[in-house]
Amino acid sequence: MFDLKASYDMFLGILGVLPTTLLLAITILVLSTLLGVVIALIQQYKIPVLVQLIGLFKLFLRGTPMVVFLYLMYYALPAMGQLIVSLLGIDYNMNNLSPVIILVVTVSLTLSTFQSEIIRGSFLAVDYGQIEAAHSLGYSFFQTFKRIIAPQAFVHAVPDFANSFTVAIKATSLGFLITVIDIFAQAKIMAAQNFRFIEAFLMVALIYWGIGILITKFADRYENDVRIK
Amino acid sequence: MEMNMQALLLEFLKALPINIIIIIMSAALGLLFAVLLTILRIKKIPVISQMADLYVSFARSVPGLILLFIAYFGIPKILPLIGLSSVDVSPMHAAIISMGFYHSGYISEVFRPAYLSIDKSQHDAADSLGYTPTKKFFRIILPQVIPVALPGYGNGLVYLIHDTSLIFAIGIVDIMGTAELFISRSDGTNQIFIYFIIASMFSAMCFTADSLVRKLERRTAIR
Repeated sequence: MFDLKASYDMFLGILGVLPTTLLLAITILVLSTLLGVVIALIQQYKIPVLVQLIGLFKLFLRGTPMVVFLYLMYYALPAMGQLIVSLLGIDYNMNNLSPVIILVVTVSLTLSTFQSEIIRGSFLAVDYGQIEAAHSLGYSFFQTFKRIIAPQAFVHAVPDFANSFTVAIKATSLGFLITVIDIFAQAKIMAAQNFRFIEAFLMVALIYWGIGILITKFADRYENDVRIK
Repeated sequence: MEMNMQALLLEFLKALPINIIIIIMSAALGLLFAVLLTILRIKKIPVISQMADLYVSFARSVPGLILLFIAYFGIPKILPLIGLSSVDVSPMHAAIISMGFYHSGYISEVFRPAYLSIDKSQHDAADSLGYTPTKKFFRIILPQVIPVALPGYGNGLVYLIHDTSLIFAIGIVDIMGTAELFISRSDGTNQIFIYFIIASMFSAMCFTADSLVRKLERRTAIR
């Protein structure tokens, strides 16, 4: 019942879509980190209205599964985009909005609140004595930030960023619901051709597992190599 | 239109018990299995502990959706092999088993650090006072582990509730499935509104779980 040859073919077929999935996940990670920086800054400086909005958004995300959020965006984003586009006076039909963009926007928004927490935490983890030492040596604010704080905060953040990357990769598996073809959707398509569902899903699981192990190994090694002893 | 919305809300309320049953059953299964996993990983039994570690890394790096599909297609194929061909596996069973196992991988990673966070001197003190291992665990260790583990467990519970929103993918007509049917019947109108209702239903479940765990936290806090 379990066909090894078919599994191998599936494995290769699914691997073919892996670069797309990784690219999606990297895009999501970069976007959510940028957004996370913005959110962290807003929370740090307690900018009125925006802080409350972010609090509301976090509450929404705490209670709402990503699938539901994805469907909401799938139906709401084209309409919202159309409004913005027409206000800007650009002639573009938002109904042609690619589902890939909707997936990326949804997952990035979801991850951005996690990223902001990671960024805040890693900056707070930098010892204040380091900043005082830099000041006493005559470093300017930007020099302190660039040479002293940021490198140390980055080291703290890497393990958590690796974790976020895994979350992003896992989240792209929801893409098949809105016709984005990632490794999971590819497996479903290939399985539907010869009804070897078990083989297909096991191979996908294997690939996800492999990626997960690689990311963990990378994060561990980075921590061991770079950690300031 | 008005009538339609009322009918929809009624359908949602009818489908909600399915979600709740699956959440409760998989939370129970997950808790049981996570405790077992944690014991196996802490005891350091050769081979078995490594297998438990491997399992946890698997459950944590594979999306819940895929475990759901593996359980849905895999369990009916495995059962005849162990002589249980007459047992009928419904999508509900597949959902409970896969979600339970997925959940167990997450919370086992909460329980293990919580157990390890207990100072070694606590073990030594209990031993020196002549506590038996069982007594030591239930009287000394567990009451200290629980407050440490509860916040993480609460998060795990919320994620479990989130993940059960995927079960409609294997054909279970829960609230998500109901929404899909309703949208296809009404030619795709009001989708945003419908998914907002679903979001609020899931939020209600998550916040209930959150407040229950917080209540437990207050009761078990070490004063």
